Amino acid sequence: MENFIEKLKGVITLSAEAEAYLYSISEEKSIPKGVTLIREGQTVKKIYFVHEGCMRSFCTDKNGKEHTLQFAIKNWWISDYIAIHNHEKATLSIETLSASAIIEFKAKELIGIHSEFPEFEAYQRNNLERHIVSLHKRILNQLQLTAEERYDLFLEQYPNIEQSARNYHIASYLGITQQSLSRIRVEKAKK
Amino acid sequence: MKALQLIKYGPIEDSLTINTVDIPTVQPQDLLIEVKTAAINPIDKSIIAGNLQAFIPLPFPTGISYDVSGIVKEVGNEVSDFEIGDLVYARVPQEQMGTIAEFVAVTSTAVSKKPGNISFSEAASIPLAGLTAMQSLEAVGIKANDKVLIHAGSGGVGSFAIQYAKNKGAFVYTTTSTSNIEWVKALGTDRVIDYKTEDYKAIVKDADIVFDTLGQNYTAEAFEVTKKGGKIVSIAGPLDEASAAMFGMNEYKLPEELTALSNKTGVLYKYIFMHPNGEHLNRIKTLIEDEKIKPIIDKEYSFSESIEAFKHLASGRAKGKIVINIKQ
Repeated sequence: MENFIEKLKGVITLSAEAEAYLYSISEEKSIPKGVTLIREGQTVKKIYFVHEGCMRSFCTDKNGKEHTLQFAIKNWWISDYIAIHNHEKATLSIETLSASAIIEFKAKELIGIHSEFPEFEAYQRNNLERHIVSLHKRILNQLQLTAEERYDLFLEQYPNIEQSARNYHIASYLGITQQSLSRIRVEKAKK
Repeated sequence: MKALQLIKYGPIEDSLTINTVDIPTVQPQDLLIEVKTAAINPIDKSIIAGNLQAFIPLPFPTGISYDVSGIVKEVGNEVSDFEIGDLVYARVPQEQMGTIAEFVAVTSTAVSKKPGNISFSEAASIPLAGLTAMQSLEAVGIKANDKVLIHAGSGGVGSFAIQYAKNKGAFVYTTTSTSNIEWVKALGTDRVIDYKTEDYKAIVKDADIVFDTLGQNYTAEAFEVTKKGGKIVSIAGPLDEASAAMFGMNEYKLPEELTALSNKTGVLYKYIFMHPNGEHLNRIKTLIEDEKIKPIIDKEYSFSESIEAFKHLASGRAKGKIVINIKQ
């Protein structure tokens, strides 16, 4: 948490009261590999900040197949924002892909923190805008890039993730079959 | 809930009917699974015909079939490793048989989370055949570079066994009919033998392992193609003494012909009864998620077409597994 607070102080002026409030709405946790933190159909009350490790969010289609929406590595946020904002049950599951050190925030309090402490307003807006940019890029990449190009960008975005994520996680994130992912890797290895 | 029930032994169309029954009671060690897909296996056909009543006495009416995939809806109070909402698959124990139903209660130790990269239908096709193949090949210590003959490579057990053996690094021979050669070869088989045009005994010599999925003449013939010190593992031949003892037949002796062949050739004969095992299914889950093994489905039927599904099974023409989608 100290690291998180220090980084935050580099971005915003953080009052002692705001810092104390952040501590009061969060909890540091060490989570083993393979733990499901949010399960589809459950109420979502937490937002996670990844300090170390790797997590992923995924949905399960009506046939039972998983589709990875997001990976979260060091300094990434992850939760089911659809459920939080629409006050619905989770449509995503979130699990740890490696042993992870995380900070677990109470979702409602974190999202509403700017009403108590206005210094968070710009910070949250900036985070939101970066998130929108990232999502738009993901959609555009899916529409216009080849699978090979998407895989290259993926490796840039998530360095070393192949140590934690399984092939089917990555293939479903990229929207390709596992055979296609294997073929792309073989082609890359030849270059 | 609705459930397919066996009401008496006999022909398929006279013996099976869909009834409305109570949802099973969940014992402390059980999970209640909302069934998405069930799968049927050759043993179901034998049970319906009454061929196994000496070994598996059944009270009528009773549920039918063993393979299931679905979603956990209730967790017994002694179960700690599953939660409501988990997506799972299982080969249910004998006393909980009855997966062609809207719900089934299953002891949690028989259950595993389902592989995430395949559908409910594909997952349901795996447990009984997969556990049979894995437990049989592991019982005779399959290892890299073993020469393995797997009979009936296009069946549910055979098609899984080929992929499992290849993943172990074995050299795999399999027998199948002409129409199945291409897809059975695509599973990774090193030498597909067309039993309609080739004599497998002239092709397979000094096998380390023969997986006898056919019984009858094939069991004795296996000794001809297995090397000294090799092993025959059977799910269709005569019981061996150890498996007979599981049914209390302590005086049982392996047929003299097989004992003589075993003594003469120095080849071990072993019979395997597959047993439900969630931990084994969890190992299979990893193999499937890594695409070391792919499910092979012949045809998917709806719940109301269940009897048609059993007739198709009885025809013996299925290439891979027959599954029943309970939600259709």
